[in-house]
Amino acid sequence: MQKQSLVESVLDNLPVAVFAKDATDDFKFVLWNKKQEEITSLRAVKALGNDDYDLFSEESANYFRSVDKAVLKRGKLLKVPEEIIDTKHRGEVHLRTVKLPVKDEKTGHDLVVGISEDITEQVQSLRQLEHLNKNLVKTNKELADTQMQLIQAEKLESIGRLAAGVAHEVKNPLAMILLGVDYLSRGIDPDDGNVEMILTQMREAVERADRIVRGLVDFSSQRALSREPVKLDLVIEEVLLLVRHELTRTSTNVVIDIEDDLPHVFLDLSKFEQVMINLVINAVHAMHDTPKGELLIKGRSERIKDVIKNQGARKFEVFREGDRVVILDIIDNGTGIEKGDVSRLFDPFFTTKATGHGTGLGLSVAKKIVALHGGNLTLENREDGKGARARLILPTEIDTGKVSLVPKLLKEIDT
Amino acid sequence: MANKVLLVDDEAGFTQLLKMNLEKSGGYEVMIENDSTQALATALSFRPDAIVLDVVMPGMDGGDVQAQLQQSPRLSKVPVVMLTALVDSAELSEGAVAQAGTTTVLPKPVDLNLLLRVLEEVLPEG
Repeated sequence: MQKQSLVESVLDNLPVAVFAKDATDDFKFVLWNKKQEEITSLRAVKALGNDDYDLFSEESANYFRSVDKAVLKRGKLLKVPEEIIDTKHRGEVHLRTVKLPVKDEKTGHDLVVGISEDITEQVQSLRQLEHLNKNLVKTNKELADTQMQLIQAEKLESIGRLAAGVAHEVKNPLAMILLGVDYLSRGIDPDDGNVEMILTQMREAVERADRIVRGLVDFSSQRALSREPVKLDLVIEEVLLLVRHELTRTSTNVVIDIEDDLPHVFLDLSKFEQVMINLVINAVHAMHDTPKGELLIKGRSERIKDVIKNQGARKFEVFREGDRVVILDIIDNGTGIEKGDVSRLFDPFFTTKATGHGTGLGLSVAKKIVALHGGNLTLENREDGKGARARLILPTEIDTGKVSLVPKLLKEIDT
Repeated sequence: MANKVLLVDDEAGFTQLLKMNLEKSGGYEVMIENDSTQALATALSFRPDAIVLDVVMPGMDGGDVQAQLQQSPRLSKVPVVMLTALVDSAELSEGAVAQAGTTTVLPKPVDLNLLLRVLEEVLPEG
């Protein structure tokens, strides 16, 4: 067995491949360490004394030779970030190589010394990552699509829940018209003072039925978010009309406290009504065992700074300092939220209702819709512990809500 | 003297139209009470011969009002017609009426002719 010199021993134990070519002797290999053997699947005995054209494909050899020549010409170190060689046992191997010109003092020959690191695994990982990333982008898009479908599905669910109520509500004005017709059809006395009143009642009844039906059509129509400036008190009026049957059935007392001159909010009416119906119905259900159910709907306007100071949370990071927002609270005096449920309220498919009485999608969809509006929806127990409060924060400008809190402000909130 | 009918329903427009019809077609003297919690007091002072009572009302529902009426010695015999959307009219077999004691149940929205017929049946000859 040949005794290795110290230098040879060190070279063979390096974790990188080291090789040298003699440029003065047709670029034949004069150094080929253990790691180089491993990477190239070529033994030193086979490589030494041969050149690139003997060992690699012509294409690869051409490339190596041109780099070698460039190194010699520049007279200094050259980095090759990635090169690929074909090997017998491992197929394509990716290398990161450094080549440097060295003068052999003894022979006066010019050498090109190469140091290569096997980066095949890194490259493969990167490729996998890129692939995964591509899939992720695709999945993300699918999720967004599904989310829109879910909104639609929940909408249909809500319609089913409300259908009975709406039918009831439409039946009543129609019955009133019928009563009017009954009266008039028994002969009209020109001096009968009731006629004018009956005609007024009938017209109002038709308008009422029309409003209810139109509300339902708006509600169920499928379209992308289309926002318009609306007055919140009118929206609430519409919503209460849609859920009136449920409120009457449960003897829920509704108190509305909306600040005068509330700025307009930019809402997709049908989607926002869906949110409101959901929150109101939830509140009504929470008051199932409350003897005197009371639903308080409060609306006011604030500058976002006040809100942050009052609420001290990162919850409102969708707004910038100074943004004027409208805050809408829907407060009930029901059973409140179970401690363990707080963190799961907005999870899709989370429900506290019995099977068949809710998809568990209502709140998650509501939150999503509010977020699409650039707003925020939170749900928590009242401070006095006598029920729960849903709070909607809505932008008063259409472009508000896309911008995150400036870092400075975030810092203030954190501390 | 005309028979007296008390209408208890929270919907003012509906009761007003019904009152005008009952007055014109049935010749009744009709009183309206839109607040169900006041139904007993109104009934005690008006002394109706029949009471038409809505079931779904805020405050006290029709069932509560009926229970109150039953406990009053002066009113317990007064026939009651309950109007409810909670029963299917098909359930009451083609506009027929469900009767239990002094109470008759009619589906809502009310059919005026049916109500007139029922009132004619339950009221003493006027």
